[in-house]
Amino acid sequence: MSTVVHQAPSAVLSAIAQTKARKDRLERWRIYAMRLAFFASLFGLWQALVWLEVWDEMIFPSLPQVTETLWLGMSDKSLPAAIAISLQRLLIGYGLALCIGIPLGLLLGRVRWLNETVGMLAMGLQALPSICWLPLAVLWFGLGESAMIFVVVMGALMALTLATRDGVKNMPPLYMRAAHVLGASGWRLYVHVMLPATLPAILTGAKLGWSFAWRSLMAAELLLVGVGLGSLLERGRELHDMSLVVAVMMVIMFVGLMTDRWLFSRLEQRLVHRRWGTSA
Amino acid sequence: MPKVEINGVSQVFWSNSGAVQALAETSLSIDEGEFVCIVGPSGCGKSTLLNLVAGLAKPDTGRVIANGKPVTGPGPDRVVMFQESGLFPWLNVLQNVMFGLKMAGVPEPERRERAEKLLNMVHLSRFTQAWVHELSGGMKQRVALARALAPNPDILLMDEPFAALDAQTRDMLHDELEGLWASTRKTVIFVTHNVREAVRLGTRVIVMTARPGQVKNTYEIDLPRPRHIEDIGLVKIAATIRDDLRSEVLQTTHEEGIDR
Repeated sequence: MSTVVHQAPSAVLSAIAQTKARKDRLERWRIYAMRLAFFASLFGLWQALVWLEVWDEMIFPSLPQVTETLWLGMSDKSLPAAIAISLQRLLIGYGLALCIGIPLGLLLGRVRWLNETVGMLAMGLQALPSICWLPLAVLWFGLGESAMIFVVVMGALMALTLATRDGVKNMPPLYMRAAHVLGASGWRLYVHVMLPATLPAILTGAKLGWSFAWRSLMAAELLLVGVGLGSLLERGRELHDMSLVVAVMMVIMFVGLMTDRWLFSRLEQRLVHRRWGTSA
Repeated sequence: MPKVEINGVSQVFWSNSGAVQALAETSLSIDEGEFVCIVGPSGCGKSTLLNLVAGLAKPDTGRVIANGKPVTGPGPDRVVMFQESGLFPWLNVLQNVMFGLKMAGVPEPERRERAEKLLNMVHLSRFTQAWVHELSGGMKQRVALARALAPNPDILLMDEPFAALDAQTRDMLHDELEGLWASTRKTVIFVTHNVREAVRLGTRVIVMTARPGQVKNTYEIDLPRPRHIEDIGLVKIAATIRDDLRSEVLQTTHEEGIDR
């Protein structure tokens, strides 16, 4: 009568686990199939438009043309080189934006007078497309890497700062009270409480910042001469090689998708969803 | 010398409808090892009083002396347990319990050992690696209790810690808390609106008046331990205290216009 069942027998549990695993696997394959069908029909539609000759092939390249351009770019290494150089600029600029934006955002969320002043400036700068900095950046840093990196930093920084600040402002006050009571004060509140408590917001800001960084970099590379995906795009325009333009666009989308899947989604899963019990 | 001395403290809050005096000048003296329960109608300033002892708020008048020193801010000698656990979702159960020790600079192996011992004491040794969202309400409060006890405070401040739990879980946690208090003889200040809970746990029950709150009456409870919430003697004392409290509650509802 007083038997307390703490756990179902392990045989039952493992059977349940197996059923669940099977269902999950099935669901995953269903999603893959769905995606495949979607993109196949998208490419099909594209090719159909080419065959119907709605536009001239000069301005509306066909799928095989773009594939060939991609293949050529890959084999003569011009495409990987462009990707590498763009990613390098992006990573430096974005890294700098992370290093400045997160601490700044934490401070803005906590120090009221700073938020009333610097916070307002950040809001203003957020409304400004960072490419607007290019003329000044070129004068300050010269026609080179530094100018482009500066534009990338300015592109990502505000989104990161403001997202972090809002994360701090929306943090349940109970966390701070508990931390105070348990002896946290000064910088430790920032490192051990505010930073981890704000992680969900920071990651949202980081994703937004990443896309802003890309936009800024592409704009800068289109305008400044050099190597990189943006410059490749510009070359496509100059040579009227629309298949190159489309190829570069596809590469940029692909890199964006991959970063989201391999970096941000994983970070979110590990640092946020698993801990907060939220779902992806 | 009393462990906690509350000397003529009062506090005013500013709300949209103007100044609200939460706490009239209140004095209270608590000896070492006492388990003092404070009951009062909602808004009578009982939580405010606890916050003042914790150092989370500063009184407008008067002062609080704890462990012989005036309270100027939070300190590891006075840890608060809140109604909502306030556990950190980014840390697992063990890391939550270790948090105060980490802040105190206790080295990792010792930190872990002490936290595991405390989790064992609150019967959660199987859940050290669990995330907070995976715990039930009662488990969360157990972790919160272990976390509050980790820095080994002399004074434990409890702000309606079991109010959101179901009756069975609450009974169980009463037993655990009573056992813990009996073995460690910490000084406990326990705020609740549940009179029976106060009588169940306290060596002394303090009834506060309606807002602005101040001490109305004090009841010494010398029932034998371990107690049970349905003990006939306990229920009788609780009934007396509840009658005492009722007039205050009526006044509050009258002020808030609930009776109309």
